[in-house]
Amino acid sequence: METIFFDYALPCLCAFLACVGFTLTFNIHGYGKLIAGVGGALGWLVYLLGGKTIFAAFLAAAAIGVFAEVMSRVRRCPVTGYVLVALLPLVPGGGIYYAMRHGVAGETTLFLSTLLHTFGMAAALAVGAMLASSVFRAIFPRLRPPKK
Amino acid sequence: MDYEKLLNMAAELGYQLMYSGAEIYRVEESARRLLHAYGLENPEVFAIPNCLIVSVATPEGHPVTRMRRVPAHGTDIELLERCNGLCRRLCVETPPLDEAQAAVDALPEAIPRHSIRLMLLGYGAAPAFFAPLFGGGLRDTACSFFCGLAVGLCLLCGGKFIGANSFFRTAVCSAVAAFLSLTLVEAGLGTSVDIVTISTLMVLVPGVALTNAMREIMAGDTFSALSRTADAILVASAIALGAAAGQALGGLF
Repeated sequence: METIFFDYALPCLCAFLACVGFTLTFNIHGYGKLIAGVGGALGWLVYLLGGKTIFAAFLAAAAIGVFAEVMSRVRRCPVTGYVLVALLPLVPGGGIYYAMRHGVAGETTLFLSTLLHTFGMAAALAVGAMLASSVFRAIFPRLRPPKK
Repeated sequence: MDYEKLLNMAAELGYQLMYSGAEIYRVEESARRLLHAYGLENPEVFAIPNCLIVSVATPEGHPVTRMRRVPAHGTDIELLERCNGLCRRLCVETPPLDEAQAAVDALPEAIPRHSIRLMLLGYGAAPAFFAPLFGGGLRDTACSFFCGLAVGLCLLCGGKFIGANSFFRTAVCSAVAAFLSLTLVEAGLGTSVDIVTISTLMVLVPGVALTNAMREIMAGDTFSALSRTADAILVASAIALGAAAGQALGGLF
């Protein structure tokens, strides 16, 4: 019970609150805050369950993509805001930082491998969310919001 | 019908959409549908991240074109949702042009905004809750909160001193974050420089540019996707440069 709480529930709660913090800076109001926060927590949960690898980031981005598509259908709002905020905890800020540290220290091999890992994470996020929402749209075309 | 008025109205709505950080395909499609709803057969709309061109030919064959230059802008989801809603309403109801123009013009002022204090709180809270995600304890959380507040202050109130150049702004904010976290950890408040710095840098990370680039690729706007990807890479290098400068500066003391 304790491991579940400290390994999964607490990080997800933190991801939720961090995303809600970000909604303040992107001027999101009302239920949008909650949706973006839940999306962030869901993404982080999948990332943890997947073992914090690049593939886990891909799965997490896919989960966020599907979640945001469903929510935008429910609320009839553009999907942009929810994906934007929910993906933020997964963006490899640590990778950029460590690559810089290795680069400044002159450790070329470590610098290159960290840099490539960072690019891999970014690409996994982009492809994951893109693929998920494209597949979702292909499967449920009738759920498309009414014509603008 | 007064096609010049119609063109102005559609261009203004597209401009507001672009300014709120909408994707290119959404801007183009909204303006096209709006012109279509007012009875134009082949309206042409072209948008790239900082330019919007709307061109129509009146039934008499007279061409009319309007171009809008979109300045550097942030992301405003509330404005985006309202523009989207207004565009749908105008397409269905097609009210008289003056009324529609008034509705579009009233948009930016009617948007509810968070107060500066609340936004600062957001800038502080996000890094504070990122610290535990990267393995930090309570003391790192407190450190990240203060560093986040400092970065938020730089972003919100430092515009006059730093200027509008996004590369330079990101580098300065990143330097402030790295310097402050090094100082706070040296002073004994935090435990790990790496964790505090990374948590704070998450506020500056180019997540928005990356997500937008991905959505442009999905929609088939290769040119905009390339420009946004370049933006993401530039911001990432600015973060790395700034953090390196900040740590070097902190190491001097």
